[in-house]
Amino acid sequence: MRPPEPSPKEAINYYGPKPSESIENRETKRSPGYRANSARKLYFEAKSSASVEFPYWYTRRWEELEGEIPIVRRGEAMKSGFEHLTPVIYPGELLVMGKAAYLRGSYPMPWLSEAFFMAVEDKLYKEAMESGKLTADSFTTIGKGGGNVIRSSGNVISIAGKFGLRKEELPVLMEVAKKWKDKSVDDIGHKYEQLVPGYKEKEALMRSVICMFDSGYTLPQGREVINFYYPLQYGIDGIIRICEEGIAETAGTPDMDRIYFFQAVILMLQGLQSWIRNHAEEARFLSSLEKDEKQKLEYDEIAGRLEWLSTNRPRSFHDAMQMIWIFQTAVLNEDAISGLSPGRVGQVLYPYWKRDMEKGIIDREKTLDLLECMRIKFTEIDCFASMGVVGGVLSGNTFNNLCIGGLKKDGTQAANELEMLILEAGITCDTPQPTLSLLYDEKLPEEFLLKGIECTKIGTGYPAWVNNQVAMEFLLNNYGHEGMQSEEARAWSIGGCLETSPGSWMPLELDGEIHWIPGGSAPATSVGVHFLSLPKLLEVTLFDGLDMRSGGRVFPSHGYALESYEELWSALKDYFHRAVHVLTLTNNIQHDAWRKISPSLVNSMLKPDCLKKGKDIGQMGSRFNSTFNVESCGTANLVNSLASLKKNVYDDHKYSLAEFRNAILANFGFKTAQETGSYSLIDQVATEEYHKWKKIHKAGLDAPKFGNDDEYVDRIMADWENWFCSMTHEFRSLYDQPLYACQISVSTHGPMGAVTLASPDGRLCGTTFSDGSMSAFPGTDKNGPYALFESASCWNHSLSQNSQMNMKIHPSVVKGREGSRKFLELIRAYMRKGGFHVQFNIVDSRMLKEAQAEPDKFRSLLVRVAGFTQYWVELGKQIQDEVISRTEYEEL
Amino acid sequence: MENNCKDCKYYLPVDVFKGICKIEKTNIGPDDLSCIQFERLPKCKFCRKYKAEKEFLGSCLGETIAYPDMNASKCAGFEWF
Repeated sequence: MRPPEPSPKEAINYYGPKPSESIENRETKRSPGYRANSARKLYFEAKSSASVEFPYWYTRRWEELEGEIPIVRRGEAMKSGFEHLTPVIYPGELLVMGKAAYLRGSYPMPWLSEAFFMAVEDKLYKEAMESGKLTADSFTTIGKGGGNVIRSSGNVISIAGKFGLRKEELPVLMEVAKKWKDKSVDDIGHKYEQLVPGYKEKEALMRSVICMFDSGYTLPQGREVINFYYPLQYGIDGIIRICEEGIAETAGTPDMDRIYFFQAVILMLQGLQSWIRNHAEEARFLSSLEKDEKQKLEYDEIAGRLEWLSTNRPRSFHDAMQMIWIFQTAVLNEDAISGLSPGRVGQVLYPYWKRDMEKGIIDREKTLDLLECMRIKFTEIDCFASMGVVGGVLSGNTFNNLCIGGLKKDGTQAANELEMLILEAGITCDTPQPTLSLLYDEKLPEEFLLKGIECTKIGTGYPAWVNNQVAMEFLLNNYGHEGMQSEEARAWSIGGCLETSPGSWMPLELDGEIHWIPGGSAPATSVGVHFLSLPKLLEVTLFDGLDMRSGGRVFPSHGYALESYEELWSALKDYFHRAVHVLTLTNNIQHDAWRKISPSLVNSMLKPDCLKKGKDIGQMGSRFNSTFNVESCGTANLVNSLASLKKNVYDDHKYSLAEFRNAILANFGFKTAQETGSYSLIDQVATEEYHKWKKIHKAGLDAPKFGNDDEYVDRIMADWENWFCSMTHEFRSLYDQPLYACQISVSTHGPMGAVTLASPDGRLCGTTFSDGSMSAFPGTDKNGPYALFESASCWNHSLSQNSQMNMKIHPSVVKGREGSRKFLELIRAYMRKGGFHVQFNIVDSRMLKEAQAEPDKFRSLLVRVAGFTQYWVELGKQIQDEVISRTEYEEL
Repeated sequence: MENNCKDCKYYLPVDVFKGICKIEKTNIGPDDLSCIQFERLPKCKFCRKYKAEKEFLGSCLGETIAYPDMNASKCAGFEWF
């Protein structure tokens, strides 16, 4: 740490010799085909745009049906929303349809929460009045922020610095929002969550940002794997027939509650059919205007394909891809969702692709063209959720994870030629979505793994490398009581950025042959207690229940004098336990409100075994239902802080706890991150008071740090993990199933760090926490990657839904074929030690510094954050600073 | 009344700031003045059932809230004014 004005080159944490003077570019750079290149160019120019069309028609129909059975009412409302959506098709598209009538379109869902609009109504109106002073032209010169509409201008209103809304749609948005006051999931959930004993403690937890956000109305679905079996096997008319048969079987019987679910699904599907046919009609219209014969033919083909798919099952690989995209989008239109992962689509689509290749219907070039178009469509997805969620957690990303590799139903390796092309498309068309995860298993062929390495080396951050065997062990431990056996555990995939999600094998029939395809078979696997800030909990523990930033009390006094490390450990565990207890209960109530007011229809229909049971996912219609978790953030900072206190206070008696408390309150004599405008520890600036705190700060910084194969601190990590993963099972979800631990930070380590005082490990007030859960704090991993792996594998990762490790490597280190081999061996070493996940930024940190200073020159620069890849310019400064500060490995 | 591109059936919206002319394939703005090829898109404000009540807000048949710029091309009840 050096106080004032470090030079850009110095303000980077290196392991190994510093790189040469010139900034090193990433090794491989290829380009997409003309079609995807044009589409990506259009994407780069497009801003996130919100519309009111769907919520208007949804709400209008909902109001007309007062008194109807709620799930049928929901089906009618969704039908109305879908059938009134304006169809848009962009030139050159091979896969069509989207969430709303804009390229990056989305819309608010006030039936989930209308509170934001009610709260800011006056502010938005004021901006609408004032924005005429600015012109649209002046806005478009603002490059920083990429596709974010960061301010209102002309006839466009900025909502929370992210979404643009046409001024003429604002009044009706407010009127629609008002209709959901006291009726939305947010409002109803809030009304009843107050009945939970100790509710005030929940409010204090949210105010102090120990917990990042509520679960039931923010992103009630997602972090799961979609299942495309039913539309592929039966087509939409076929699914309607299944529902009609279900109604006929149960109408009037004691089991007849199922008829309402079936009826609602039929209504929703009828809406989908209109939506698809409206796009077919639009394609015909565009064809009628088209002079270019090739484009005209493509519009006609699109129209024909959509007309066919509106009722029938797919006939070809291209049909199947379009069908998958229709249902991916349809699910995204039923709820605010992040992390709706398409799963192992390379294996789902393989039977179609292989057949079409054999028949000469498609070739590799056309396949690559389609896969690149698919990447663009996924990248266009935006999620309109509460602003704290979109900005503070998601960084604008939507986490649609496509998995490759793993094992087949029979236990043999599952990688195929189509997945090789999926990796190739990820290289040629580098976009944030869908992100890729490689389910690493020792059985996977070397050629496939090296292709994965080639892709990782381009610097996009994907594929992430995930341990297949560890995930299966976790699943069998947590879903065995629901009937999962090892064969079914093999069907798993990653939901969202890194949530291990259960799957099932379904029998897809094609030309008389059965192909067992994997797909998700559980609802959202990451709902429940959303992101507990571990360093903040330690801070509150040190100050006996007080949040010293606000001065408010979070917990009653813990009653410990903290005279021993064991007392500190007990007090921390007590507070953590209290937090999980009250948050589990309140979130269960929110989710109960969600399933009553806004039950899932599209996703439920897709998930085995909802159609068999006649129940939606909120009524445990899925095959697996143990899906609530407790999420943590800031693991390395907690462990390092405990190590510092154990070492400096309790073992060596170098300082008293009171001295550490005072040093924390004084921020060790530094300015806060908010004052310096940088959120990286390395950039912080000392005050004149620093000399008073210099020694104790050094003691904190010098204490053992996680990531160096140091048993002193690794023992603390193991103790924490073993206790945390175990204690979550004491709590029961809405579905009366035990919770489990989830350890991903996404982007929460930024905002959560921002509200946390300095910590005993030497981290300063307001600076960003370490990312993930197995990543070392930037600059503290001094002994190289293998030492980091030793530390990270000090506990059994299958106890948790995940663990997350990010590494940053300079491009020169993995250059060439030899570099690729070395890189693969590095990953393999971690997997063999039982590490669950590792992902990489292959980048010269000085380039990131440049990109921060001149974002306009780096519109297409991608970086890996924590489980997702995002355009640099669309990241907040907290996360940018954190990515820059991560230790850059100059040698392996 | 002046016609804007966003009221034209040949307007393809890209985002809230811009779109593409479906005929000419040129970039245009939603608030740009329309050209000679303009053809009205069915919108609530062009529907005989729409009743304006205040700026950007009105009703459909005097019963349900509606807004003038709503694309009504998929509304079964739309009737040209």
